[in-house]
Amino acid sequence: MLVIERIVAAASLAWAAALLLAQLLTAWGGGRKDYSVRAGSPGRAVLFNLTAAMAPAHKEAARLHPGKFAVGVALHVGVAVAVVEALVAMVKPEAAPLWPAAAGTLAALSVAAGLYLLVRRAVSRTLRAMSCPDDYVAAAVTSGFILAAALYGFGVLATSPFLIFTAVTFFYLPLGKLRHALFCPVSRVDLGRRLGYRGTYPTLRGTKS
Amino acid sequence: MSEKEQDESTAARVSDPAEVARMAREALRSAARGLAAYHFDACVRCGLCGESCHIYKTDPVPENLPGAKAAKVASFFRRYHTALGRIAPFLVGARALTPAALDELVEAAYGRCTACGRCGLNCSVGTDVGAIMRAGRNVLAAAGKVPPNLQAVVDNQLETGNQMAIPPEELRDTAAWISDDLRLEMGDDDAKVHVDEPGKRVVYLVNPREVKFFPLSLMAAAGVFHAAGERWTMSSRFYDVTNYGLYSGDDPAAAAITKQAVEEAERLGADEIVLSECGHGFRSFRWEGPNWLGEKYAVPMRSVLELLLEYVREGRIRVDPAKNPARVTLHDPCNLVRWGGIVEPQREILRRVTSDFVEMVPNREQNFCCGGGGGMLSMSEYGDRRVASGEVKAEQIRATGAKIVAAPCHNCADQLLDLNKKYRLGVEIKAVVELVYEALVL
Ligand code: SF4
Ligand code: SF4
Repeated sequence: MLVIERIVAAASLAWAAALLLAQLLTAWGGGRKDYSVRAGSPGRAVLFNLTAAMAPAHKEAARLHPGKFAVGVALHVGVAVAVVEALVAMVKPEAAPLWPAAAGTLAALSVAAGLYLLVRRAVSRTLRAMSCPDDYVAAAVTSGFILAAALYGFGVLATSPFLIFTAVTFFYLPLGKLRHALFCPVSRVDLGRRLGYRGTYPTLRGTKS
Repeated sequence: MSEKEQDESTAARVSDPAEVARMAREALRSAARGLAAYHFDACVRCGLCGESCHIYKTDPVPENLPGAKAAKVASFFRRYHTALGRIAPFLVGARALTPAALDELVEAAYGRCTACGRCGLNCSVGTDVGAIMRAGRNVLAAAGKVPPNLQAVVDNQLETGNQMAIPPEELRDTAAWISDDLRLEMGDDDAKVHVDEPGKRVVYLVNPREVKFFPLSLMAAAGVFHAAGERWTMSSRFYDVTNYGLYSGDDPAAAAITKQAVEEAERLGADEIVLSECGHGFRSFRWEGPNWLGEKYAVPMRSVLELLLEYVREGRIRVDPAKNPARVTLHDPCNLVRWGGIVEPQREILRRVTSDFVEMVPNREQNFCCGGGGGMLSMSEYGDRRVASGEVKAEQIRATGAKIVAAPCHNCADQLLDLNKKYRLGVEIKAVVELVYEALVL
């Protein structure tokens, strides 16, 4: 059942995973030995940078822009829901959409978030100045994927077109800015490790103290 | 500096455009596998980092947004190191390393960013914009595009051993008259600035500014060392704690500058190198230097702040906070604190040697750059922007109501002197060691 669509979606997922892995290995480049004498705890600092440091108390981007931060969170929750839906549809296409109402609602909310971010980029002079076509394409692909998941969740969209949307999204994932899905956590690990090695991180103080 | 190192650090200053482009691409390739590698692909260009940057806060134009500055460097990375950047550069905003594009990057990398790194800690996703901008400087240095005034300081360091080209005789003369004054002040004939004395426990590196224009901090350090019974010396040849190779992005030059001072300390037979109050000097020697050289140092190294704290804690010096009654606040130099990990020693010292210490907000790793970092002070073409961007720091200082700003960095101290004048703060700028010296109970 839906063999072609499932194969295309799975191939697209494999392509994304392979390219992202290759990009990560290139960036790693065999690693970099640090010859300086360590002063702190890189492990604790990495943990901190992946958890508490992302909270508004430590991160001005979140604290000073609570609305936009919330929109970003909604978008990413929607993406996560859509990915889970897509994986289930790839493995078991005959199953009903996972948590239809909850998933559909969440995904619908994040479509709104995605569209808001797309429009904001188009109307803000500052954002426009720093943007390239990839920013708009990535937002459109993501919003389309979540919209497909929402419609699929509500039972409006069939499994077959949802899997096609999934394949397109996974295909684009490693090519443009969507690869931040990998490099966001990786960069937090790297920055946390360096600040921890030198003894700057972790810290309990936020930006207000 | 060996001939090979001289070649590597100056080879980029060539006029053949093809050679310039080749060297720039080589530097980019190395950055793509270096510190900045993970961060090129992390920024989502959300634009939420403006308020975290002192330059954007004081001049909120799109080109001052941290993400926009990072995007300029990343555009070259995308052109040569991503599939879409090669096939469809327009789609991902990828740009070739042309002479015009490099000239444009000069303004962003040297003129609009001090590589202070504050935005990276506050970025939505965790992009280290400071590392990206330094990768940009690596590329520009390889292409021979370092602003001339900044390059002149690097050249001084390579050619004379110190950034102000002070001859060894002048250092010895200055040390002699500081010693005369110190003996008078301390009432002790043995107090002096020790120069070129082998076999001492500590070799002390200072900012040449202390020798040339602000001898009080060198005198204070000599006084505190004497009071603690320290066995110490300076070298008259290689005593410069600064390293403008960090700022220019010229890693081979930075390595050569590091090497000359470290080898001199070894030659003098020191047990330890102590770095005077200098943010970028501390970061360069303590953290980046071993990696530029590709080896561990034979002689351990630490900040004078760590040593001063040891003296106070172990009772090697006696201090009386009542001797410093005025309100004191503390400036956190980005390279000493955020990138150096020296966060608490200066605070504990100030709590012990002053009687009214107040923090600026925000502080520690979240401090704002004073505006003088990244080599800004040596690039006169960006002078107005430097002083304007310092308004953030000026207002932080004003809010504390302090009369004295302790600045554990001579580079920052120069900027704070300018801010004091421009924003009429009515404060005194002092090194931490000066406050320790003033609190000494002899
Ligand atoms: S540096 Fe961070 S906060 Fe700034 S635009 Fe990029 S992702 Fe957003
Ligand atoms: S590194 Fe510092 S100066 Fe550069 S963009 Fe970030 S906050 Fe601004």
